[in-house]
Order: sequence, then C-alpha cells, then structure tokens
Amino acid sequence: MSATTQPEADARPAEAVMRQVVRELERVLGRERVISTPEELIAYEFDGTMERGMPQAVVFPETTEHVSAAVRVAHQFDVPVIPRGAGTGLSGGAVAAVGGVVVALTRMKRVLEIDPVNRLAVVEPGVVNLDLSRAVAEYGLYYAPDPSSQRACTIGGNVAENAGGPHCLAYGATTNHVLGVELVLADGEVVWIGGRTRDVPGYDLTGAFVGSEGTLAIATKIVVRLMRLPESTRTLLAIFDAVDDASNAVSAIIAAGMLPSALEMMDRNIIAAVEPVIRAGFPLDAEAVLLIEVDGLEESTVEQAEAIDRICRDNKAREVRLAVAQPDRERLWAARKTSISALGRLYPNYYVLDGVVPRTKLVDVLRQTYAIAERYGLAVANVFHAGDGNLHPNLLFDERDPGATGRVLDAGTEIMRACVDAGGSITGEHGVGLEKRDFIGWIFSAADLAVMSHLKPAFKAGERYNPCKAFPTHKGCGEVSQARIQRTAAALGADIYV
Amino acid sequence: MSSRTAATRVDEFRAVVSKITDAAQIRPGDAGHYEVDGCVPEVVVEPSTAEQLQQVLSEAYTAGVTVVPLGGGAHKSAGNVPESYDVALSLTRLDHIIAHESADLTVTVEPGVRLADLQARLAEHGQFVPLDPPCDAAATIGGILSANAQGPLRHAYGTARDWLIGVHIVHADGSMSKSGGRVVKNVAGYDMHKLYVGSLGTLGIIAEATLKVSPLPRSEVTLALTCRSAAQASDLVLAAHDAGLALRAAEVLSPPAANAVLGNEAWSVIVRVAGEPGTVTRTRRELDAASAALGTKVDERDTPAVWSAWDVAFRPGVLSLHVSVLPSSVGEAMQVLDRRFAGAGARLSATLTAGVIRANLKPTREARAGALVDAARDVASRYGGGVVVEAAPPVLKHDIDVFGPLRPDFAIMKRLKEEFDPRRILSPGRFVGRL
Repeated sequence: MSATTQPEADARPAEAVMRQVVRELERVLGRERVISTPEELIAYEFDGTMERGMPQAVVFPETTEHVSAAVRVAHQFDVPVIPRGAGTGLSGGAVAAVGGVVVALTRMKRVLEIDPVNRLAVVEPGVVNLDLSRAVAEYGLYYAPDPSSQRACTIGGNVAENAGGPHCLAYGATTNHVLGVELVLADGEVVWIGGRTRDVPGYDLTGAFVGSEGTLAIATKIVVRLMRLPESTRTLLAIFDAVDDASNAVSAIIAAGMLPSALEMMDRNIIAAVEPVIRAGFPLDAEAVLLIEVDGLEESTVEQAEAIDRICRDNKAREVRLAVAQPDRERLWAARKTSISALGRLYPNYYVLDGVVPRTKLVDVLRQTYAIAERYGLAVANVFHAGDGNLHPNLLFDERDPGATGRVLDAGTEIMRACVDAGGSITGEHGVGLEKRDFIGWIFSAADLAVMSHLKPAFKAGERYNPCKAFPTHKGCGEVSQARIQRTAAALGADIYV
Repeated sequence: MSSRTAATRVDEFRAVVSKITDAAQIRPGDAGHYEVDGCVPEVVVEPSTAEQLQQVLSEAYTAGVTVVPLGGGAHKSAGNVPESYDVALSLTRLDHIIAHESADLTVTVEPGVRLADLQARLAEHGQFVPLDPPCDAAATIGGILSANAQGPLRHAYGTARDWLIGVHIVHADGSMSKSGGRVVKNVAGYDMHKLYVGSLGTLGIIAEATLKVSPLPRSEVTLALTCRSAAQASDLVLAAHDAGLALRAAEVLSPPAANAVLGNEAWSVIVRVAGEPGTVTRTRRELDAASAALGTKVDERDTPAVWSAWDVAFRPGVLSLHVSVLPSSVGEAMQVLDRRFAGAGARLSATLTAGVIRANLKPTREARAGALVDAARDVASRYGGGVVVEAAPPVLKHDIDVFGPLRPDFAIMKRLKEEFDPRRILSPGRFVGRL
C-alpha cells in the first residue's frame, strides 16, 4: 500500500555472505536446525497478509542458547534476524522484508511451569495460545487473550503484536497479561525483564517490549498471568434489521455501566458467508447481529443478561436469543471465529482491515466504510469487536478482475483514513508491520517517532531485528511494499482470523 | 563547576523564565512545601500551559539546571535523594480536565488535576478512575502516575499502567511527544507511556494523560472479617478469590493496622463487595459461610469510614515500605514481618492477590530505620520478592538505594535514561540505581 522510492539492494544481504552465515549457523545449531534451499524456504515467504519476502535461511532453535547462538552469528555477519511464530500475523510482521535469517520459534513449545495458586505460567514462545489454556484448564484456569487465530498462533507472536481478541474488552490485551520475559538481545546477550512477582522496581520494560513487533529482541521465555474460569457464562445473540440500530445498542450497553466480556458485531455479508457453514441460526435477512457475552457469578450473569436483552430490544432488536449451555455458546463463537475464512464462499478474495474508532463514532465510521467500498465498486463485510471500537472491514473482490487489487488497497487506505479522522488508530490488534508503516505518520509526528526510536539503542537492537517493520520506510526498505501488489489474496491460506 | 557558577546559572534561568511564566526565588517560609528529602531548590516555576512547560524545560536544558516536577507533593517521599535539585517545577496550575468522553469511557486530563476533583467530576456520570492510593486531597494525577501510586482497588482493577492509554510528554529539551491515543484499543507505535508510569519524572514530564474510566458499581458493602492469624486471613482471601466472588478490594491487616482502621486489634480482612444486587447478596452469603466454617467473625462496616481510615493509616509516613512477593507467600511473609518489626508500631496491609504488602513504621532508638529496612529486605528475598522504600528519613536514604539491589535489566534502563535525558537535568539520581 506504500509508495516506494528507494532501492532495496543495500538492505538484502549478499548471497555470498549468506552462504557463510548458513555454514556458521549449521555449525553452531546443527544441520537439522537450519534450512536454506529455495524449495524449503518458500513456506516461510508469507504470513497472513498479502505481504511477502523470501528469507535466505530459517533456523529452528529449541533452547534459549540456540536462539542466542543464531543471533550471534547474524550479529557477526551483520544480517537481519526475523523472529517468527506460527505466521498467522495480519500485518506482515513475520515476513523477511529484506531477506536474512528467520528464527522460527515453533519448536520452543514447552509450558515450563504452571503455578495455579499464583495464577501464572512460564512458557516458551512457540506455545500455541489455545494449548496454554488447555494445559491450565485442569486447575480451573485459562489464558485470557484470545485472538481468533488462537488454535494456531503462538504466545511469542501474541507478545510481539500485543494481540487482542474478543475478550480483551473486559480483560485487556496481551500487555495486561505478561509479567516478565527472557530476552535475547541483538548481540546474543540473554536478559530477563519484569519477573514473576507483580511489581519489579524500575522502568516498565515489559510494557514497552510487548507490542514491539519483533524489532527489539526475541522473547525466549514468557511469564503470563492466568485467570480463573468463570462459574457462569451467558452468550446473547441479538438480531437487528439495521446496522445503525446494532451500533446504538452497543453504545447503550456501555452507557448503562456494563462491560460485557465480549461485544461483537457481524453484518449481513458475514452472516451470508458463515451461516451456511456453521448453521448457528443467524437469519439471512438480518442486517446485523451482536454477539454479547457476560461471565462471572451465576447471579451476575443472569442480571446482566437480562439488562442487555432489554437494552437490545429498546434499540429495535428484532429478536434476542440466549445461549447458556456450552455447545450452544460454542456454536455461536465458531460462527464468529471462522467468519472471515468463510468469506471465501462469497468471493475469491478478501482483504482484512484493522482500525479503531472511539465507540461513539461507530455508526458514523461504519456508514463511511460502506460508502467507500461502494464508491470503489467493492463489497464489504464487517465483523468486529464493537465494544472497544475495533473495526475489521473485509473488502471482497476477485483478483482476476482487472484493477481489483489496486482498488482494494486504495479503498482500504481510505477506510483507515476515516478511522484516524474520527480520532482513532490505524491498528487495534494486528500491528503496523509492513502493511501500515506508511500510515503511522497519520497519527504520530516525526517528534513522536523520534522518541520511540530511543528504545532500539536502549535494547541494543539497532536494525538487527525485523528491519523495515512498524515504522516508516527508511533507507534500504523501499522496495519491500511492492511485493504486496503482486501477491494475490487468493493465496492467503486456508484460514484468516481476526 | 563551582557553586558560584551553579548559583549564577540558576539566577540566569530564573531571569529568563520569569518572562515566560511565574518563576520565583523560594522564600524560607515556603521551603518545606518544595523540599524533597531535605533538599530545597532555589527557584519554583509554575507554568499554566503546556507551551509554557515546554519553554521552561527548554530553558532549563540550555542553562543546565536540574528540575524536579511536583504536583501536590503527596508522593514526593518516593525515590532516592535527588543528586541535584535547582528548580521545583510545580504542575498544579496545569489542572484542566481536557475531555471526558463518558460514552467512550475515557478522560483526558492535565497533570495537575487533583484525583479527588477528577473522581467528583466522573461520579456525576456514574464513573470513576480505579486508582485509590493512600494520599491527602492535594494528590494529583501526574504525581500518582509518576509514582505509580496504588491502593486496595488494585485487587480488582490493576494499576495505572492498565488504565493509561495515551500521554503527551515534555522532554528534557522542551520538545513534546505523544504515545498511545484516546481510543481504548491501540497497538500503533511502541507503548512509550508504559515507561512513564512510575518513572518519577526521570524520563520526561507528563503534560497530558488519557485514562480509561470504569462504571461505578451498582451497590457496594464493606465487610470486616476478624481472624486468628495471618495465615487464616490470607487463606480466606485466596478462597474468596478462587470462588470468583465479587470483591473490588480485599486487604489483609496486621493487628496494629486493624486497630487503626477498625478499632479491633486482630488479624483481619477488609473487603469491598460490589456489583449487581444479586451478586452482592451471593458474595456475602459465601463469605459468611466460609467465616462460620473457620469460626471467624464477619461485620458489616460503613464503607467511607473504613476506607478513609485505611487511607489515613497508610499514607507515606516516617518509614513506608512496599514489599512485593508472590501472592501465595503473603500470609507467611506478613506474619514474619509483623514479628521482625516488633516495637516499631508496624502497620501492615496486604493486597494479597497482587502480592503487595504495605508497611508503615515508626522507627525508634531500639528499632532503627536502617535495621527495619534490612529486616524487610531479608524477609522479602526469602520469599523471592523485593522491597521499595516509599518514604524514609533523608539520613537513611543517603545510605541506601530505596529500590533495592540492581537487577540484570538495569543496563537497559541506564541506556534508556541516557537516551531521554543525556544532560541529566530531570530528577537526577532519584530513580533505580540513582539514574
């Protein structure tokens, strides 16, 4: 989506250098932990976006020492290092923008410790989000951040992106659930920030590190907070004949002093895509549905569910259904969490956006989203975290139509701009990555970015880690974004989650 | 540099700054108000706008004078003794509530807004900021964020870092930057604002802060549970927490603390039960049952009376400690601390689920401040935790690092401070490792 002006030649390591790097990596890690042939590397060219970039080597460390050793090699030869989890990211964060060495952390997938009384766990970065919740379920605990990719995405990737999910409305995003991290710095040094106790003296380095998109260090151990599984959960499905009414119901719920654990909206196009697959009972003629969840003590969920039911009806809900039994609730959530991948039923291609607006601007920005899509001759399907104003418009298209991909990118840019103009942000949970680094100037001035740039020297990171990500184009990163135009959304993979 | 040159520098700074805003030589009578750990500055500057604040810092940077920001002074006992303190930068005139978006559950304020005033304004809309540090009415939002001050509500709501979503910061050279924004969910850019919470003004000065706010609970009662031991009190809190009971706060009090707060010298637990009426009823019923099983007593108490007594009892005093251990160790650590502090009138209060034990002590000839701090550090380290001294006599503070031993990540913090404040004019010496 970015204009490009500078050549990439000076950023991508020369093949001759990389041959030495690979030899050295094989020596320190063992051949079985290094791949470098084009056939092997191709699986690591993409993440969940239209971005792409071919790494020159991928390593598969199994310990902190392996990570440190690999990073030392990269440091010695001055080549980029790109940390990577499951590759489900939606901003190009795990793409090797200018080549270099991808450090795939998927083999570091041990849950090292579970401390049920203190409600914490120590995990390696490659642990899959949902696997962690499963591992601690026997203690009546779970890990709260629940990105829709939670069956595949890793805790390390979640930490890098400060991942959210439907339930961060009430329980916060990843940053609110990480207590400490063991880091490998760009020169290979291993150091802990934060810790196991809630308070550690000094600057909140953990808070600064979470969401740094793999640009500061590699997390090799993570101390996470766990939460107690609620005694009772009630999920409501409210069906509306107008998107505006659904948006107004969202505002009314918040205004009434309630904070549900999740408050999600799906519009007509999403319903059309998902209902035939999941059969959750969404009426195909509805304009929008709200999925609202409350949890806590039985008495609390009963009282809150009744109040929310009333508010939805006051805001012209056609019908409100209540799901209490787990299978019924799970069917509703399956519809929500697979809704974007189901869009493939309607159109060959879709492009997922991630913007934030103040909750009070939802009605206005949603209208603009539909109008912008229409102006570009595109269909749009909205499924998003309405409770915290985090929009996910999906632009639907067929890349075989001449000019369609270009129109999608332009429409996406306009929608992002509408979010910013409403006082919002260019990303609520997917990160800036490659995809939005040229939009960051819309919300941060050069002075703001200059202050953020203090973090790299503090962490001794330089441009070693994930170069060309999260911040506007600098020298050597110019050609990076061109690739996205060539990439067809059809190849996005089987599942896209938001 | 000789003291004469230093004095000249400060004089010249005052002359320049007085053309921008109010800058006055400190009169002997006012010295106490601006004094930090026995250090009294030459000059107090009181900017009224963010622009003036920027100009003042720009001049300080040029002149090379050292600056300590102050709000209401409620938390000025925090941190190490300033290495140098030429200018008191009073932020109390920056006291505007810039925007309260009640439907968005956000509020944007200047640093000098008093917590009490903000809560009164939010309460008109049935909302509040869930920060309740023990402090007098003069405490400001800027001071609370800088000190990462916190109170019993931490049990349910966490700390300032969980509520701060965006800031404008004035840097050492007078430039201004922002991070975060005014929306509740945002991952664009590094989360710089996390670094400013608890940084005691050593990285920059908060010129504007946006916080999430929370709805006030529909109904609330305060209960006091009288226990036989610290262990029993901590077991009760852990059991209630495990049962998911609707508690906004749950503090374990040592006998002297319970005496001050409840007039009842026994190990006690005080809880705020809050939520929808049915939830409150259920929580009370379960607490009654748990207490009956243990043979402990439950009393309903007046909510404002108990928590304001708690507030007064735990404001930073002669010697105040913040002990951090794992929640599972709190009961045992409290028992040991209570014994080790014997003779110092120790009041202990623990936000158990956060692993925080607060101690307010009165050192004596027999129980000297330094020995009490050593004892607390000894106990905390035995449980894998640490101690931050939040208030202490200056004579002791000169000898210790109030934050305790340096940790492995100190090198990162040191480089961070160098990036933000290369001339060391912002509260030099006050932070971890005397940064």
